[in-house]
Amino acid sequence: MPVYTAPLDDMRFVLNDVLGYESAVAGLEGYGEATPDLVDAILDEAAKFCENELLPLNLPGDAEGCTYENGVVHTPEGFKEAYTLYAEGGWMGLTCDPEYGGQGLPKSIGFAIEEMICSANMAFGMYPGLSHGAYNAIEKWAGDGLKDLYLPKLASGAWAGTMCLTEPQCGTDLGLIRTKAVPQADGSHAITGTKIFISAGEHDLTGNIVHLVLARLPDAPPGIRGISLFVVPKFLPKAENGGWTAGARNGVRCGAIEHKMGIRASATCVMNFDDAAGWLVGAPHKGMRAMFSMMNAARLGVGMQGLGLAEVAHQNAVAYAKDRAQGRALSGAKYPDAPADPIIVHPDVRRMLLRQRAMTEGARALAYWTGMQIDIAERHEDEAVRRAAEDFVAVITPVVKALFTDHGFEAANLAVQTYGGHGYIHEHGIEQFVRDARITQLYEGTNGIQALDLIGRKMPEGGGRLLRRFFHPVQEFLFAHSADPQMKEFCRPLMAAFGQLQQVTLLLAQKGLADPEESAAAASEYLRFFGLVAVGWMWARIAKAVLEKAGDDPAGFHAAKLDVARFYMKKVLPETASLGLSIQAGKKPLMAMADSAF
Amino acid sequence: MDIRKVAVIGSGMMGSGIAAQVANAGVPVVLMDIVPEGAESRNALAEGAVARLLKQDPAPFMHKHNARLVEPANLEDDLEKLGDCDWIVEAVLEDLAVKYTVYHKINLFIKPGAAVTSNTSTIPLAKLLDGMDDAFAARFFITHFFNPPRYLRLLEIVSGPRTDPETLGAVSRFCDVRLGKTVIACNDTPGFLANRIGGYWIQTAINGAMDLGLTVEEADAVGGRPMGVPRTGIFGLMDLVGIDLMPQVAASMIASLPADDPYVRDFREHDLVRRMIETGHTGRKGKGGFYRLNRESGEKVKESIDLATGDYAPSRRSELESARAGAKDLRALTEHPDRGGQWAWRVLSNVIGYSAALVPEIADSVADVDAAMRLGYAWKRGPFELADRLGPAYVAGRLRDEGRDVPALLDRVGDGTFYRVADGRLQVFGADGVYRPVERPDGVLLLEDIKRAAEPIERNGSASLWDIGDGVACFEVHTRMNALDPDVVTLLQKSLKLVEKEFKALVLYNEGANFSVGANLGLALFAANVGVWPMIEGMLENGQKAMKAMKYAAFPVVAAPSGMALGGGCELLLHAAAVQAHAETYAGLVEAGVGVLPGWGGCKEMLVRHTLDEKRPNGPLPPVAKAFEQISMAAVAKSAQEARDMHILRESDGITMNRDRLLYEAKRKALSLSDGYEKPEAVDLNLPGANGKAALDLAVEGFALQGLALPHDRVVAGEIATVLTGGDTDVTETVSEDRLFALERQSFMTLLKTEPTLARIEHMLDTGKPLRN
Repeated sequence: MPVYTAPLDDMRFVLNDVLGYESAVAGLEGYGEATPDLVDAILDEAAKFCENELLPLNLPGDAEGCTYENGVVHTPEGFKEAYTLYAEGGWMGLTCDPEYGGQGLPKSIGFAIEEMICSANMAFGMYPGLSHGAYNAIEKWAGDGLKDLYLPKLASGAWAGTMCLTEPQCGTDLGLIRTKAVPQADGSHAITGTKIFISAGEHDLTGNIVHLVLARLPDAPPGIRGISLFVVPKFLPKAENGGWTAGARNGVRCGAIEHKMGIRASATCVMNFDDAAGWLVGAPHKGMRAMFSMMNAARLGVGMQGLGLAEVAHQNAVAYAKDRAQGRALSGAKYPDAPADPIIVHPDVRRMLLRQRAMTEGARALAYWTGMQIDIAERHEDEAVRRAAEDFVAVITPVVKALFTDHGFEAANLAVQTYGGHGYIHEHGIEQFVRDARITQLYEGTNGIQALDLIGRKMPEGGGRLLRRFFHPVQEFLFAHSADPQMKEFCRPLMAAFGQLQQVTLLLAQKGLADPEESAAAASEYLRFFGLVAVGWMWARIAKAVLEKAGDDPAGFHAAKLDVARFYMKKVLPETASLGLSIQAGKKPLMAMADSAF
Repeated sequence: MDIRKVAVIGSGMMGSGIAAQVANAGVPVVLMDIVPEGAESRNALAEGAVARLLKQDPAPFMHKHNARLVEPANLEDDLEKLGDCDWIVEAVLEDLAVKYTVYHKINLFIKPGAAVTSNTSTIPLAKLLDGMDDAFAARFFITHFFNPPRYLRLLEIVSGPRTDPETLGAVSRFCDVRLGKTVIACNDTPGFLANRIGGYWIQTAINGAMDLGLTVEEADAVGGRPMGVPRTGIFGLMDLVGIDLMPQVAASMIASLPADDPYVRDFREHDLVRRMIETGHTGRKGKGGFYRLNRESGEKVKESIDLATGDYAPSRRSELESARAGAKDLRALTEHPDRGGQWAWRVLSNVIGYSAALVPEIADSVADVDAAMRLGYAWKRGPFELADRLGPAYVAGRLRDEGRDVPALLDRVGDGTFYRVADGRLQVFGADGVYRPVERPDGVLLLEDIKRAAEPIERNGSASLWDIGDGVACFEVHTRMNALDPDVVTLLQKSLKLVEKEFKALVLYNEGANFSVGANLGLALFAANVGVWPMIEGMLENGQKAMKAMKYAAFPVVAAPSGMALGGGCELLLHAAAVQAHAETYAGLVEAGVGVLPGWGGCKEMLVRHTLDEKRPNGPLPPVAKAFEQISMAAVAKSAQEARDMHILRESDGITMNRDRLLYEAKRKALSLSDGYEKPEAVDLNLPGANGKAALDLAVEGFALQGLALPHDRVVAGEIATVLTGGDTDVTETVSEDRLFALERQSFMTLLKTEPTLARIEHMLDTGKPLRN
């Protein structure tokens, strides 16, 4: 069975020492209570829940999977009990609006907790994760009637939610959606169509499930501009004792569940809508706008899944590498009394462990920084500051999604590699991480789509305004600290990579104007380049924070941080040089060969 | 005959506009009208017209001083004033009786040899001359201007068998060279060229939109840009010119055309239009037209009329797929199955078919018809150029398939096109089936003709260098809006070296709508957003080097702008040895509008210009204050004459009224300067430094207190003041041009690193309007 201990020390260090959490977030309107003490207490509790309740269900849940019978889906044993504990513990409503029964805590705290849940049991995390997506979409776009009805139910966890986008003929291209919505005399709509790949579409965890469904009204313009968003409950809400309960069954049924490579404890459903009653969320034909806000949040959530998996994979790889004794260190026996040295003495094993750790810890800082920008974008008193934060989140979202999930998959693979053959055996739980991680690179827009989003949509927006929110702070950081002799070893490599990123950004922006294929050909490499520099910026900030605290370091925590920072700068960041060359090669190496020659 | 003085009779919209344009040419003009009953002044009508001209926007006068050349007069007391006029233009009511009265009245006072013309748009020449004697008929013909006369370049001239060729030639030449018009000779047929075809186009487009159920937004989305028509399309255009004009024009056309003419045959009286006129919904001048701005809710809401019901509703953007599909491909537009595509084909096939059937009846050459539609209706392409884009054989084939008549001319051109290039020359298909070269009048030199026959000496993606003969080279910018980018600067530097070796002089000129709108802001903004400061500063410095090399070149550089010459485009003018400007040149250093300052020597050159101004008050501050006012307010000259006032043009710089004559005259100027050319001497300036800056800052504070300067205006003005006062200096020291370049760079970079400046640039790129922050 895999082990997992929530990395609370690192989380606190990142939030408090590196990112200045308290001054940035606790000052925002309504977040005054989010003091370090309270945040600490919440993280402690969340860690206990994840370690004690969720982790033990992960491997058996994968083995058992969900089961389907006559339209009913059973989650694996123990899931319902864990979910009930989760809901009763108030975790579902942690960052929800107090007006709807939530606790109104900053979204950034939610990021840390999401990470822990994904480390402990990613498949479990899917259920509350989708409820959150539904909550956010209804809160942002629906009218008061729908909000008053559904938000308290979602915030308490009594009801769960889903996002129903994909159809058999349309995945990435949502303009092809066929599900139709016919207006009814009572103001509702009759929804008919089939949705596939619907996570948490049907399950036994809650008394009702609230589907958010994209469909087309009869007078809809063709394509993406003719899509509307509807809320379609599994059971029609019934007024009772001044509240709402699940009433009559609505015309939505699960037709089957998928048999998948990973996250087998998460129900992935085919959902059939047959004149199901639905209610319009937001304006007619403006469903994509609502969908995008939901999707952006979901993309960051998927990024956190990558981070969570990377962390747990790393922890297990380290434990194994310290424990597994084979052969001797090449420089001579390190543990002469034992029959063999633990494999952690080997450079290549350390390379794998450090690759996992350097990217994971840097990504954690970037993730929480992004979470803080979301809080600032929502709550800051100055509109210009809010807008700047929103711009940053917009540009970093595809980077977080793709970079973190690629890393989650790589880190899981490196864990298997560290384990050797034992990693390939189910009961150790390591190969499950690889299988679970694989989906994160696919859903909520494949990582290729993320790269196109970054280069085709986010890059040109406002003449590069979104980019400014990243490039200028990095440049200011370098300007402020590169003269500091202690910071030189971190700033120099970052400055070189950053300078090259500026150049390829200009190059691609210009090339992309003349020929969109040129920028698309470089998109994935560009996203990775961008992400490596972003994480490098975080490592430089981490180093700065450590150097400022110099002295008291009994556990060696700070010294280790500097070592990992050096590893990142010397062994990870240089990958940008290769990416830069590949980007400059242009589209020709990709497009020269005829389709028929493949 | 030389035209030295002109009279215009009738001080309405057209008459007064024509008078203003004559004044713009520097020629005195008597503006006459009747004596109104009970008026205090007997010249009240003409005086009122002049007052109105001074208020109109866009301005009929190129400079407000030109109003002094217009002499108000009346038709009762002042007929003797006609005695020294060489040309008399009649622009009174379109009423034969009224016109005859005028002709008989003036006939006694006209000096021998003087020309008399009518600005009629609807009455045939033969009718106007009905009963007039031969002497009058010899000097009389039609000069049909388009509204507004200053801005629309088309002039239709209709002469008759009795017209004296010399008189006709003198007026034609005056209108061409002095008034800047493109003169097109038309036959004496109803509506002449532009209104015959334009009127039919409007009619067929409106009928079609009603038949096919297009909304006004849809019709304008398809019928505007995709068909090469200004963005206003059809309905927007009707709102602009006045919907009440429609039935008037139609009535006169129908009265004079045969019943089987398609104009008459397709005419319909629309209830909607009638009701709109009755209720005062005559367009922008009335209570709104097909569009209106509804302010009832407190906000301005753009609304459109429903063509079926006549009710207004908030405008909805056209979702027609055809407008998108046909944005770049005219044939795809006409083949699109949606109602927009069907409508486009109906309109285009009718207009092309009608036009083809009218040559040679209305004009000798299809090129004249195309020119008339381009210059009179601002179409990007005339009907025959549109036919060429579709393919004449394709149009004919489709007409045939639909069982419609194929005009003989369209049939005759067969698989060919109406225009072709042969031996490097543009040729046009004649009604007789023979291609002939398109002839340019003497004194007209077009780069487009040179480009057909030659390869550039040098070129890159943004600019080219051409040999325009007689040892003169022409540097042409050809980016989008002719924005200046690093490639333009690179090629300019290269060209300067090349011209020094192989040519006598260089002309900066292009045939885009605008000389240059300035630096490529999109590129600058992106570079700033990504934070590549050294690269941006390098671009600045490189531009400065190019400007300096140009100013101190061993040969004369003549800039020949037309349209906008803003920012960097204006700095090109300022560093040229001389300027030959089209009268419609709009120059200015507008950088402050986007939160920066002129960084290619614009600050420096304006200081030099105002310092060298002999009429300026003494002391170091006045020239600084002048330059400061101009640059910090981002002032733009609305004509070449105004640019001279602002010292962007020097007294010695020339102004060309006719766009087509600009290159010829610029080249002539370049050649005249090249003999014994001496490059200018460097100017060292004595600038006031910190003291002067304090004075300017104080002035800006004053504006800010009055609410005239916004927060970021103060920051921008502060940097402009720093540069113009010479930075860290005082009057006892001299400041070199290089030092001023350095100050410009420094302040430019400072401003570019501020959020409000970046917001201004982004807003300008997004909306085309300055952001007030």
